[in-house]
Amino acid sequence: MTINGFSLKRYRRTVLPLGLLLLVTVLACLDCGVSISQLWEGMVKGFSFLAYMFPPDWSAFGEMLQPVLESIVIAVLGTSFGTFLSLIFAVFAASNLTHPWIRQITRFLIGFERSIPEIIILLILVAAFGLGAMPAIIALTLGCIGMLGKLLADTIEEIDSVMLDSMTSVGANKLQVVFYGILPQILPNLVTYALFRLEINIRLSVILGAVGAGGIGYELEYAFNMLNYHRAMTAFLLILLMVLGTEQVSNLVKKRIKGREVLL
Amino acid sequence: MCSIEVNHISKKLPDGRKLLDDISFWVNKGEFVGILGASGAGKTLTLRCLNGLLRPDSGSVLIREEGGAEQDICRAGKKELRKIRQKIGVIFQGYHLVKRLTVLENVLIGRLGQIGSIRSILYGFTDGEAEEALLALEKVKLTSHASARTGSLSGGELQRVAIARAIFQSPTLLLADEPISNLDPSNAKVIMKIIKPLSENLPVIGVFHQPEMTAHYCTRVIAIKEGRVIYDGSPHLSNDLLVEIYGDELKQIEISYHSLPSSLVNEQV
Repeated sequence: MTINGFSLKRYRRTVLPLGLLLLVTVLACLDCGVSISQLWEGMVKGFSFLAYMFPPDWSAFGEMLQPVLESIVIAVLGTSFGTFLSLIFAVFAASNLTHPWIRQITRFLIGFERSIPEIIILLILVAAFGLGAMPAIIALTLGCIGMLGKLLADTIEEIDSVMLDSMTSVGANKLQVVFYGILPQILPNLVTYALFRLEINIRLSVILGAVGAGGIGYELEYAFNMLNYHRAMTAFLLILLMVLGTEQVSNLVKKRIKGREVLL
Repeated sequence: MCSIEVNHISKKLPDGRKLLDDISFWVNKGEFVGILGASGAGKTLTLRCLNGLLRPDSGSVLIREEGGAEQDICRAGKKELRKIRQKIGVIFQGYHLVKRLTVLENVLIGRLGQIGSIRSILYGFTDGEAEEALLALEKVKLTSHASARTGSLSGGELQRVAIARAIFQSPTLLLADEPISNLDPSNAKVIMKIIKPLSENLPVIGVFHQPEMTAHYCTRVIAIKEGRVIYDGSPHLSNDLLVEIYGDELKQIEISYHSLPSSLVNEQV
């Protein structure tokens, strides 16, 4: 039915799915016991708890700098090793560089890794290596491969394959093609992805720390367990500072790269 | 290398359609051969067979060295092929340079196959090689751009860098796949003027879409239609032959062929 060119059918088509979605949401909330009153109560409790945590225990500030550094080191090492290994995996996972079979197998390995959360990898590694920074670094490295391996492989596949032909046509081998043809072309993406992953790894290193990798995450968890909330607040503020600081540094670098690429 | 001999090469699609059908020709040192043909006639495929980027189903591509040694590209193993390719310069239509490297680095890539992998990764090229590369850039008048990023150059300049790379490679055979198709007429002329003298010392084979250019610069023209050689001889083609080569495409070609100022057609190179 059409009135003045306005189709009612079309109108219904947009309203109906939205109505259905709303209905499903309401039913799901009822099923899970989501209640507004409970949300309100919890929020009030949460805020009063936060207020209770103030003021932070400034005397713990100094002794927490060391764990903060440890968390940063874990994240940076995990990202560096991970980026390096991702690059190798990416080369084997790119259709314009390897045999389809090798590509499939490598892509499967990368996808398999991506499906396992870092925290589970850490739990397995802790059983093997014991507590400490090393299992956390390995867990973050593996996590890196799952994400960067795929992103970099896709980036490599976007490179003009005739350009690679032009390098093989002067007698260059695969390794030389990767170093002279692929690496320079994907460098901006490589740096951007690595920085993005560093931001993720900084947050992850806190969570992994709480599970047994040490660092500031452990300090936070320990303070909570000891019911020392002022100390926990100090750790919390330091984590906030660490995460925001990394983001700032990474944004600065990304901005500079972008500025230079635009000049091209 | 003083000659390349193409003997009866054929290439079929899996469905049996013939892409290249019994193509034969030979080119000697001192010749600048232009391959002409309509789109899809098999020009570029033929050229790709000449440096082993494509392997024909049958036939042979023989490269004869100065001393008499003879190599068949179609039967060369992987390692042998890499070795032969070190001596074949190729210029592509889309330039295909590494945009984020400098102009000089792109020229140096020409000899990548001639240095070992370990050296190319850890050490790179020597000062002597860099000097030679600069000399190659001088031949195409781009020395002033040596340290510029390749991505910042114009189309004509990019093709000149590609030629400098081929010159630096010091090849014994030069192949050019539609080197001027992306360029405006004056840049195209510049490129042809650079390529032409190179043919004095080595065979040069180029795929072109401009009969007026091949008539002017090439020493010989080979015309390919539906995968077969239909003409091999003087670069000055008759109108009937142009009709046979291009069919429906002819109208456009004829306009550019005959609208050329006589000063250009008669100009001595």
